[in-house]
Amino acid sequence: MAKTTLENLRLGVFVIIGTTLIVLAAYLIGNRQNMFGNTFSISAVFNNVNGLQSGNNVRFSGINVGTVENIEMINDSTIRVNMIIEEKMLKHIRRDAIATIGSDGLVGSMLISITPGLGSESLVVPGDELKTQSRLVTQDMLSTLNITNENAALLTADLLKVTQSLAQGKGILGKLLNDTVMATSLEQTISNLEHASKRTNSMMTKLNKEMGRVNFEESAMGILLADTISGNNIKSILSNFETASKEIEEVTKDINSVMKEIKNGKGAVNYLTTDSTFVNNLDTTIRNIEQGAQSFNENMEALKHNFLTRGYFRKLERRQKKEAEKNQN
Amino acid sequence: MSLSLVDKTKNFFIEIGDLSYFAGRFFKEVLKPPFEFKELLRQCYHMGNRSLVLVSVTGFIIGLVLTLQSRPTLIEFGAVSWMPNMVGISIVRELGPVITALICAGRIASGIGAELGSMRVTEQIDAMEVSGTNPFKYLVVTRILATTLMLPLLVIIGDAIALYGSALVENLKGDVSFQLYFNKVFDALEYGDLIPATTKSFFFGFTIGLVGCYKGYYCKKGTAGVGVAANTAVVFASMLLFFVDFVAVFVSDIFYEL
Repeated sequence: MAKTTLENLRLGVFVIIGTTLIVLAAYLIGNRQNMFGNTFSISAVFNNVNGLQSGNNVRFSGINVGTVENIEMINDSTIRVNMIIEEKMLKHIRRDAIATIGSDGLVGSMLISITPGLGSESLVVPGDELKTQSRLVTQDMLSTLNITNENAALLTADLLKVTQSLAQGKGILGKLLNDTVMATSLEQTISNLEHASKRTNSMMTKLNKEMGRVNFEESAMGILLADTISGNNIKSILSNFETASKEIEEVTKDINSVMKEIKNGKGAVNYLTTDSTFVNNLDTTIRNIEQGAQSFNENMEALKHNFLTRGYFRKLERRQKKEAEKNQN
Repeated sequence: MSLSLVDKTKNFFIEIGDLSYFAGRFFKEVLKPPFEFKELLRQCYHMGNRSLVLVSVTGFIIGLVLTLQSRPTLIEFGAVSWMPNMVGISIVRELGPVITALICAGRIASGIGAELGSMRVTEQIDAMEVSGTNPFKYLVVTRILATTLMLPLLVIIGDAIALYGSALVENLKGDVSFQLYFNKVFDALEYGDLIPATTKSFFFGFTIGLVGCYKGYYCKKGTAGVGVAANTAVVFASMLLFFVDFVAVFVSDIFYEL
């Protein structure tokens, strides 16, 4: 009896696991098609649905938010697609959102893609109809491609003309291609260039060697760069400079004070510069001296002509003449 | 002894007729009380739980191998991201039910055939008839019901384990997380895949039980008959399974557009 109970228990567990799996799978599949949960329905009108089927996904900004419920033909060029959307999307989709039909990858199934608009309109309410945009169809692409092809054909015809005239040596480019003289001169030019570049190269090598030969260690620059003693010297020189500049500052201060004193009327210099009486005295004195010198000159002239001193002056004149002649020779 | 083609054809139709009559008798008996409930549970345990390990291992390996084998081709086409969709649909729709049913045909149909065959040979069935118990009700109805009820459960568990095996390969070789894998699987699956497959597995279970019981119940006398009964039960059940599968796919095609 106990064995049977155990068997039945195991059987029960097995049955429950199996049933749960079936129910779970059914739920998950249904959940994907929005069969459970709160949904609302909106529609969009297209003139071509490109093979969309009921059950295809509806995406809002790339997120799967619902499925296509059904597709109904209204008239020969308008098709209404009803969609079931999750209710929580009600507060995101606005009236200016645009529905387009696209495909999930190159080979994937078709889907409706809802792109948000500018976001200025009010939110959608269940039953609204969204604006649509027709999808780029292969047919249109092919017709555009056809025009491109025609253009390409014209272009290639022109290109053919150009290449033909090139081959016949017309125009500058044709000459470049066909003229042998020009080719040789071009060759010459290039070889000259090559030569020049070789020479430049050797010159550069020489320069390099010269640069290498310059003894950096014993030059002034080297000492400056490497010698610590001269560095210290420079340091001491700089410190001397500093003290000197300090002293100069003091001197300048002194001079400043002196100048101030001078301005304030102290000392001899000030007396010299500011006292006008003294200047007048000096003026008269100098005038007197001038007059004195003049009378002295007259006296001397008189002395020259005096018989007592005439001989001496003549001798002086002669000696002067001789010296001038000597100098001339 | 060699039979002529006419005789062979005649025997085939006789067998089909007998089987149909046997099935009709089952449906008549299954609705009539008294019900052998305890025996049904015992058979369910023997057919369901005892096959679970076998079905699990086979399912796991099928999922693993299917994924490994499809990978190079899908990579060549740059469609390896479609692996969950492909494996999911092929396992749930076809491979899971058929492989589980074939394994059960090998294990259960032969078991029933041998069991009932030896009972017939040792005249236990005759003894039951004499003692007033309905051997058909006690032996046949419970077994057919047990296989019919247990096979769908085995199939769904086998499917789950096969998908797990496939997801494991994708996870290890293709860096696809389990969540993404199963998301994609359930994205690809529809009720049109799950419901026909589950319904189909009920019929598979019924076929296995029916053929096993039929072959065992009408076992020929002698010990050799038991072996023949077990053997033909497996062969006939397997063949009939494919036929049922063929019909089931056509019927489900009517209800769910493929």
